[in-house]
Amino acid sequence: MHRNTSLGAVIGGGLVAALIGGAAFAQDAPNFDGVTLNVGSMTGPFIASAHKAAAESWQEATGGTVNIIEFPFGELPTKYLAAMVQNDSSFDVITFAPAWLPDFSPYLSEMPASLREDEAWEDIHSVYRDRLMRWDGKFLSQTMDGDLHALSYRLDLFNDPDEQAAFKEKYGYDLAPPESWDQYYEIAEFFTRPDDELWGTAEAFVRGGQQFWFFFSHAASYTNHPDHPGSMFFDPETMTPQINNPGWLRALEEYKKSLDFSPPGSLNANSGDIRTTFAGGRVAMNFDWGDTGTIGADPEQSQVAGSVGSAIIPGSNQIWNYKTNQWDTFDEVVRSPFMAYGGWQTAVPSASEHNDAAWHYIQWLTNPENSLKAALTGGSGVNPYRLSHFEDLDAWSAIFSEEEARQYLGTQRGSLDAENVALDMRIPGYFNYTEVLEIELSKALAGEVEPQAALDAIAAEWEKLTDEFGRDEQLAAYRASMGLPPL
Amino acid sequence: MREPIKYVFIWPAFLVVLIIALFPLIYSLVASFQAFRLVPPRPPRFIGFENYGNLITAARFWGAVINTATIVFIAVALQYIIGFAVAVALHAKVPGERLFRVTFLIPMLMSPIAISLIMRMIFNSTIGPVDDLLTFFGLPNLPFLTNPTWAKGVLITVEVWQWTPFVILLILAGLQTLPRDIYEAAEIESATPWQQFWGITFPMLLPISAAVIFIRIIESFKIMDTVFVLTGGGPGTSTETLTLFAYQEGFKKFNIGQTSALSFLFLITVIIFGVVYLALLRPYLERSR
Repeated sequence: MHRNTSLGAVIGGGLVAALIGGAAFAQDAPNFDGVTLNVGSMTGPFIASAHKAAAESWQEATGGTVNIIEFPFGELPTKYLAAMVQNDSSFDVITFAPAWLPDFSPYLSEMPASLREDEAWEDIHSVYRDRLMRWDGKFLSQTMDGDLHALSYRLDLFNDPDEQAAFKEKYGYDLAPPESWDQYYEIAEFFTRPDDELWGTAEAFVRGGQQFWFFFSHAASYTNHPDHPGSMFFDPETMTPQINNPGWLRALEEYKKSLDFSPPGSLNANSGDIRTTFAGGRVAMNFDWGDTGTIGADPEQSQVAGSVGSAIIPGSNQIWNYKTNQWDTFDEVVRSPFMAYGGWQTAVPSASEHNDAAWHYIQWLTNPENSLKAALTGGSGVNPYRLSHFEDLDAWSAIFSEEEARQYLGTQRGSLDAENVALDMRIPGYFNYTEVLEIELSKALAGEVEPQAALDAIAAEWEKLTDEFGRDEQLAAYRASMGLPPL
Repeated sequence: MREPIKYVFIWPAFLVVLIIALFPLIYSLVASFQAFRLVPPRPPRFIGFENYGNLITAARFWGAVINTATIVFIAVALQYIIGFAVAVALHAKVPGERLFRVTFLIPMLMSPIAISLIMRMIFNSTIGPVDDLLTFFGLPNLPFLTNPTWAKGVLITVEVWQWTPFVILLILAGLQTLPRDIYEAAEIESATPWQQFWGITFPMLLPISAAVIFIRIIESFKIMDTVFVLTGGGPGTSTETLTLFAYQEGFKKFNIGQTSALSFLFLITVIIFGVVYLALLRPYLERSR
């Protein structure tokens, strides 16, 4: 009851604030009467619903029309590129992953300087603004969603005294969110009880279902060496692939091991499936983008609402050193939260005939008020990425209990601010690199090939692709994407 | 030169064919000899037969050939056997024959994408009714879409379910054209129904059977939508067909040179299978004339 009252109050307050803010923005809004924007998006509700909500108010304010065109996730890059390489104006706004920016960059228009002059610009977390929205020195895109992998766990199970006692008796330490992957698997094993329809964890394993980002999250803990930034995917001096080193091998073996503690059929699970699995109360933990948190907390979508804990994903005190070819051991567990995917971004193709209106729509979609509303809507797919998103605990209390909100925001912000945060791979020819990765990963998970053989095959193909695309060009692009200076 | 006006009528049609068929064909043939990528953009560069060489030495290409051939030959064989049997049953005027005749045609009229989406739910190992049924009888859940062998089995099942009606339709049409007096003569000679089938029905339907199988083989080689939706070619590339492989190269990686070479290899593969099929069948067809 209290939750409902506060929900109503906060949403009401939020709406008033949005209306006031929207009204102020609307007064300044230019007239786009007669303009129709074609906006490409992933099939809803994720992301597309955020577009629809913002489009509605944008249409009222400007007189323009927004036509949202939805495609399945796996089809997005194909549809966008097919139009853009032909200089076709089918899309005025595209919604895509930062990792695709290197391949999209020749076909995108630069963000107008006027969009980078207000407080709303400074309000975007610097990891997104300065690292992911820029390519080759130009701001080509605008983040509309903050994405990183974080752990979600069931507070009701973890805080249960009987569970705590049984766990301590079996493993010799207190039941708490795992700090290391070893603890993660012990906790997952402890809660795997098929007779009770309960399993330890859930991860995405299906090809085309965001699979490899989950593998990367495991790998970041073993390969993102704090003393050698940018060495996770390639040697940042030679572009030699690192994906078949012992750190990656350990990550793949562990990723595969997760299947032992996941519900049946998990080999076919995508990231959407694991959210509903968690919200359905079938697993004790999962790690995912922030969506598990917001969906799990929503009583209409979840059976575990009120019991959703969040934590930074586990780390390791052993990290592979590619320079010495040895494992380095650290005194404490090093957390390497992985900026998986890096959040949805929006951009305007150069071929668009409505450049001004398109950028104005993007500014509207991502302004602090509209973006907060989207982030607070479970199932929108939008996670916090503005500093103001992390600070407005009252607004988050509308969908979370106070404890849930504190943990959720603390985890999201803590991951972004972590010293050893691991950036996702961004490189020209991205789809060529990830295709072989997905194929070999699927083979290894299905038991068709040994993990080392799969990783060796990926490394061989990556080496070939780097040579084909030009080693020097790829090296320069990779170093820039990892925030390293030119050689 | 006697009727020059005829060229006025022929040339527009010839130009249309030239533009929509020959030009793309020649363009892709040229592209197949080039290193040519749209993403990341690379200017075309002549590399001779390198694209063909890369493909012929690639395990993935041969895997796609084997997957395609396996699905095509098993599915078409089952379609023919089942389709023939059902057509003969319908021709024999079984009770409810009119209803069956209409309902059996429905799968063929449905969109392969819609069918594949439904089948993906039916064979889902967590929430699918097939595994639910197995569980009900105390049997283990089967990995229908995540195990290479089972996944191929599902693809073949869907193909058979959807395209057997095509065989039924054509064989039934063939059966209705058979002369009745031959059967009457056979009955006078006390030939059993089994003898009538093998001595009259089957040989006389051989030409139409050959055509039906040939059409189904050519069509099945182009299988893409069903595989794309049901398995995406996975796990790994264990169910990837030639057309899906070409799609991945062309529209995911925009590797135009390699995709063009792959398309021509695909064309050659289909022609080889077609020629071998017709050569094997020729003696039987000539005998049945």
